[in-house]
Amino acid sequence: MSYSILIVDDSLPMRSVIKRTLKAAGYGKSEMLEAANGQEAIDIMEKSWIDIVITDYNMPMMDGLAFIKTIKSAELSKDIPVVVISTAGNESKIKEFMDCGATGYITKPFSAEEIRDLLVKILGEVNYEDDVDDGNQDFDF
Amino acid sequence: MKTMLMTAIKTSISEVMETMFFLPVEFGRELALAQSRIDKYNFYFACQLTFTGDLSGHLIIMAPKSLVAEMAENFMGETKELLTDEHLSGTLMEMLNMVCGNALSKTNSQVPFEMGIPEMINASEVSENEVFIIVETTESKMAIALKMD
Repeated sequence: MSYSILIVDDSLPMRSVIKRTLKAAGYGKSEMLEAANGQEAIDIMEKSWIDIVITDYNMPMMDGLAFIKTIKSAELSKDIPVVVISTAGNESKIKEFMDCGATGYITKPFSAEEIRDLLVKILGEVNYEDDVDDGNQDFDF
Repeated sequence: MKTMLMTAIKTSISEVMETMFFLPVEFGRELALAQSRIDKYNFYFACQLTFTGDLSGHLIIMAPKSLVAEMAENFMGETKELLTDEHLSGTLMEMLNMVCGNALSKTNSQVPFEMGIPEMINASEVSENEVFIIVETTESKMAIALKMD
């Protein structure tokens, strides 16, 4: 099954790395949408169906916390699972995110397996044999 | 405390450079920029990140464009020809973000640290008196400075 995944991160390289990792984790057939901050993400969510959001926490304009609070308070988006990607050393922030309704979190550096395990828990099993991107299976991020 | 943080920063640089950018590093001396043979006017990318907590200050990193391109290529899995300056600066900022976060998590601070957003700075405006640790890769080198408030 393919999904519509929204990646929210102000870092263009990090968005590329997350997409690459998702492909390696078996989500290669999923649609991957990108936003550079919370406000851009909300604009996308108003126009597109999203199955899951993967977001950074530290972003300009609208940071991850304000973004999660906004989507969790809106009827149309409150049930969309949100995964936070955080740098190590922000454990207090992570608790804040979970208290605000985040579904899970991953700390950098992360591996394709960590992303896959978390997304499988949230979305259900992905058909790894069908979806895997053969060129990118053996790397960790 | 600053010494402990600097040790944590070195460990984090090694970990992040090896696991995320596939570039092993060695550490050279601490030198003032003027003594380091780093030509800050010659394609040097520089960025800084502030943090507050038990200790407050900021980290500055400077690296030549060729090294940042190699890091971005390894990090993103794209060939250098496809990489723009936005990719390069984003890669250096992400590297500094991970190094700072990892290093702060290794300290036994009582107060949670708050990290700012990494920002690119003009390398030519970095003071020649700023003291940097030289970080050497097999074919290049970069420099990182820790400034306490």
